[in-house]
Amino acid sequence: MLALDLLANGLIYGCFYALMAVGLAMIFGVLKVVNFAHGEFFMIGAYTYVLVSLKLGVPPWLALPGAAIAGALLGWLVERLLMRPLYAGYASWGFMKDEYAVVVTFGLSLLLINLVDKIVGPYSFRGPPLIDVGRFALGPVMLTGQKAIAAVIAIALMIALALFIKRSVWGLQIQAVAQNRLGASLAGIDATRTTSLIFIVSGMLAALSGALLAPLVNPSPDIGAFPAVKSYVIVVLGGMGSIWGAMIAALILGVSEAFFSVYVSYDYRDAFGLFILVAVLLLRPQGLLGEKGREV
Amino acid sequence: MTARRQLWSDRLRFDMGAALAICAALALVPLFVSGPYALGIILVSIYFAIIALGWNLLAGYTGQFSLAPAAFAMIGGYTTALLGHYLHVPLALGIPAAIVSAALFGWVLGKLVLNLSGPYLSLTTLAFAEIARVVIGNSHEFTRGDQGMHVATLTQSRIGYYYIFLGTLVAVLVLLYGLLRGRLGRFMMAVRDDPVGASSRGIDVVRIKMIAFCVSCALCGLAGSLYGTFSQLVSPELGLLQQTGLVLSMVVIGGMSSLTGALLGALLVYLSSEWLRGFGDVQIIVFALLVILFARYLPGGLWGLAARLLQRGRA
Repeated sequence: MLALDLLANGLIYGCFYALMAVGLAMIFGVLKVVNFAHGEFFMIGAYTYVLVSLKLGVPPWLALPGAAIAGALLGWLVERLLMRPLYAGYASWGFMKDEYAVVVTFGLSLLLINLVDKIVGPYSFRGPPLIDVGRFALGPVMLTGQKAIAAVIAIALMIALALFIKRSVWGLQIQAVAQNRLGASLAGIDATRTTSLIFIVSGMLAALSGALLAPLVNPSPDIGAFPAVKSYVIVVLGGMGSIWGAMIAALILGVSEAFFSVYVSYDYRDAFGLFILVAVLLLRPQGLLGEKGREV
Repeated sequence: MTARRQLWSDRLRFDMGAALAICAALALVPLFVSGPYALGIILVSIYFAIIALGWNLLAGYTGQFSLAPAAFAMIGGYTTALLGHYLHVPLALGIPAAIVSAALFGWVLGKLVLNLSGPYLSLTTLAFAEIARVVIGNSHEFTRGDQGMHVATLTQSRIGYYYIFLGTLVAVLVLLYGLLRGRLGRFMMAVRDDPVGASSRGIDVVRIKMIAFCVSCALCGLAGSLYGTFSQLVSPELGLLQQTGLVLSMVVIGGMSSLTGALLGALLVYLSSEWLRGFGDVQIIVFALLVILFARYLPGGLWGLAARLLQRGRA
């Protein structure tokens, strides 16, 4: 019975991880760089949700789209202001593509954490729940109303995203640009606009993940760090740049973490991701669904 | 004559000369500044300079981006502290042990990721840094958690410590200069500029990356260990990602791939961060913004700009 409860809760957390990790995987798929400010998309979403509903008195159901808009806006700005040099012929001395991306996104991450810390304050907030239902049992699974509703939304978002990538024109364009940027441009796809779209979608998903978790985790300025670290583990486990790999890996990490924290050690549950990372790098560095990367 | 000035070895010698000139100026500082607080600030900026130089060897010269320099300083500090606390190891052995243990951790991480191209090193070191800090902070029985651990000190005299740090800095500079001037340094830059081309010339790319990574980790461990004995306390805060951010901003603002750049950046950033403290805690905001602007518009950093102007004058 406990096992079933852990499985369900692990899958729920896996869905939240997936919301973040998929965006990271899409960005890597298209630009081949890692966004080290991804945790801050999560943080901005959580803060927008909490502040809009607490300070402006907007009902939580309306604050949720507000968080999505804030995340999308941030994603758009990041691409527009910081990522363009990666593919707009930025032939400058001394800096190369990967280095530029690491330095700029890491700097952005610090900037956003400390801006929020300075403007809003370093203390944590308790987000208002979407519905006011206490703990209840669904068969053997113990849930709270907030967790259940957030999980339903997260699953709906994942399905919507899968359909968007598989079916819509934009989704097909994203796949095409990820496969071959030049080839996609030759076929008449606006690669720049597609990259912009990816950042908007990634920012939105990570922000929604933050907003949905806000009532459960009490956001503080550095709340994004651990979701981000877990997303990095997920993206490596799933295969760098693979969207489906990231979804599967997120569920695997969520479930195995739930079991680890009960059966092995609760204090070191956050360290579990590192074990997985080490295991993947040793046994299958290309990840579950990734192409084999070039070894030097 | 102009062509000769462009030689890499000439530029490196110029770079080293400028770095030593800064050290000489630092050696004279205690003649004019006597307040223990002011000396302490310069001392901490020398601590950061050692870490920045180590990180610069890896990031600037070898092109591999670790996001864990602060974590390795923390490991160095804790190695000395734990050895002293549990085994009563004297500092004369505890400090070298910190160098070895940081290098060993680096070696193990490097074994895992350095044979892969792509952003694996940044990802793994970031995950490692965050998780190492949480593990040390949660192990209350073993490391006393967030309270930190007491460390023995080398000397009570602040001026004494000032010259210990300065001496270490000069030793690190000499070591890096020797390393960069020789074949190894050229191999590192070849790996940075074109890994495929380098390996086609018979350079063992993974081994070169490994050496750079281990040396860089060892220097961070040394700095962390010395800093622990100076403040007589090590805590998980040494390994905060913010500290890594500070190191990164020092190197990017001062100038990547340059000894003087890293040193100058460390001094400028840390001293101005103390100055900015008067305006509320805005230091990290300012530096993070500067890092983005420098990376975007002035990738050579301040020293890159200054060196070009100075060398044009000399040629």
